[in-house]
Amino acid sequence: ASEGSEAQTTDSDDIVTPVFQNSPKAVSEKMCIEIVSLAFYPEAEVMSDENIKQVYVEYRFYDVPLSETETPVSLRKPRPGEEIHFHFSKVIDLDPLEQQGRRQFLFTMLNGQDPEKGCLKFTVVSDPMDEEKNECEEVGYAYLELWQILESGRDILEQELDIVSPEDQATPIGRLKVSLQAAAALHAIYKEMTEDLFS
Amino acid sequence: MEDRKGLVPDSGAVFTFGKTKFAENIPSKFWFKSDTPICLSCGDEHSAIVTGNNKLYMFGSNNWGQLGLGSKAAVNKPTCIKALKPEKVKFAACGRTHTIISTEGGNVYATGGNNEGQLGLGDTDERDTFHLISFFTSQHKIKQLSAGSNTSAALTEDGQLFMWGDNSEGQIGLKDVTNVCVPHQVTIGKPISWISCGYYHSAFVTIVDGELYTFGESESGKLGLPSQLLTNHRIPQLVSSIPDKVIQVACGGGHTLVLTEESVYAFGLGQFGQLGLGTFIFETSEPKVLEYVKGEKIISISCGENHTAMITDTGGIYTFGDGRHGKLGLGLENFTNRFFPTPCSVFLKFMVQLVACGGCHMLVFATPQAGMAEELEFEA
Ligand SMILES: [Mg+2]
Ligand SMILES: [Mg+2]
Repeated sequence: ASEGSEAQTTDSDDIVTPVFQNSPKAVSEKMCIEIVSLAFYPEAEVMSDENIKQVYVEYRFYDVPLSETETPVSLRKPRPGEEIHFHFSKVIDLDPLEQQGRRQFLFTMLNGQDPEKGCLKFTVVSDPMDEEKNECEEVGYAYLELWQILESGRDILEQELDIVSPEDQATPIGRLKVSLQAAAALHAIYKEMTEDLFS
Repeated sequence: MEDRKGLVPDSGAVFTFGKTKFAENIPSKFWFKSDTPICLSCGDEHSAIVTGNNKLYMFGSNNWGQLGLGSKAAVNKPTCIKALKPEKVKFAACGRTHTIISTEGGNVYATGGNNEGQLGLGDTDERDTFHLISFFTSQHKIKQLSAGSNTSAALTEDGQLFMWGDNSEGQIGLKDVTNVCVPHQVTIGKPISWISCGYYHSAFVTIVDGELYTFGESESGKLGLPSQLLTNHRIPQLVSSIPDKVIQVACGGGHTLVLTEESVYAFGLGQFGQLGLGTFIFETSEPKVLEYVKGEKIISISCGENHTAMITDTGGIYTFGDGRHGKLGLGLENFTNRFFPTPCSVFLKFMVQLVACGGCHMLVFATPQAGMAEELEFEA
């Protein structure tokens, strides 16, 4: 809910503006992940697989329910040369008091000590049209290295990641476009955790 | 003066969504102390409101002087255009970087970007204050204004349509010129009841038969015409595949919505969901009925560059298309594209009266349902 109370200010132009009194959360206390769009390469096997009709994308983030980190819709499989657009953005709360677990999780990733070696893993999933007959099938993975954000100090804006197939992680089958606004949070977390280590 | 906290008065409020420049682009609202909006319009990054007391308020980006305030600084609060106070402003239309307005006396004024002559002042010099378009006289009783990327249109009560500005794609219906700096009449020999200028295409409706005509940029099906007719895209052509009587048309960046007596049709580009035709149709040149809202009576439609809004006869509102920046009015900080018309639950206890969609924002004017004044609240 939109916490904080509202009060009214007026200006000389007869406009009444209810103003939120609470200050918005500092950028170092949240991050925003956006699944922007995806495309498959024309020659990729997924393109000719007639069982794959629509796809969605998901990722996992510590304790955030999967229902909040998967695109709410599946979109028609892109045609050759076509991009499909989710524009699915999610803000993840990284409050230093309430979300220590998430901050620790990110620190572990920054150190590459997590199962995905410091990468946020996105999974492209085929969503069957007939849910009774078929099951969802993972058709590709894309990996976003978190360390690059800390190193550059810059958020990631619409970066294209290779999608690789589960069977052959060496051959890209398409591109997943993502954005990640996390530079301020990752910097704060890294600073706070390394200070802890040596204090 | 209300003293209950944030409670919308019975006279209603203007709700802002997306990159409006108002309230730091957080979904917000404001209202007038003793006045109410009668006309809303959104350009690419600016907005205009005309009130019942015939005052004009402007806010948003101002790089081209499109707010008409005598400067080029962005304005983050609705600001009254005092220079127009002696005249009663009736209509306003925001283009991508310009604004046109009309008054009760029949005057039409323009301000802002003018690279294609879209101000109708006989030249291509931009202005940062409203300038009178001398073409129009008290004989032209203006009924509607519309503005596209670099185009302007004025429709009179007797069904005469005048357009000016960019014609590089034939979007003002002239065959051979690239642009015109003064209004010229667009006619197919029948009086016209409705005009809409999209980013690079345009459409109008005829009074008697409710026929739809489209012209301008022909890519991605946004003219709703079969491919053999696209060579003539520079002149208005009848969209014959819509069987019932057309009431309104709204042109966006690459898409077109049509309100008829029976249904709502959509065609053009829908890669972000702006057609509202679901997750399998991202482009169509054939007008398709929005099945999802078949049970609802839609009374008004508006298209932004990549999104769409529709008001129902019971005061509800549906939005769909590009969800970035929260312009669909469907949340506070988590957004997604919507491929089906989605009811804005924020307005459950309101009667939506007006809506306008722009490049990355949306304005809604809504009044509380009797005895149900509520705070604007979003789920976290
Ligand atoms: Mg616009
Ligand atoms: Mg628009």
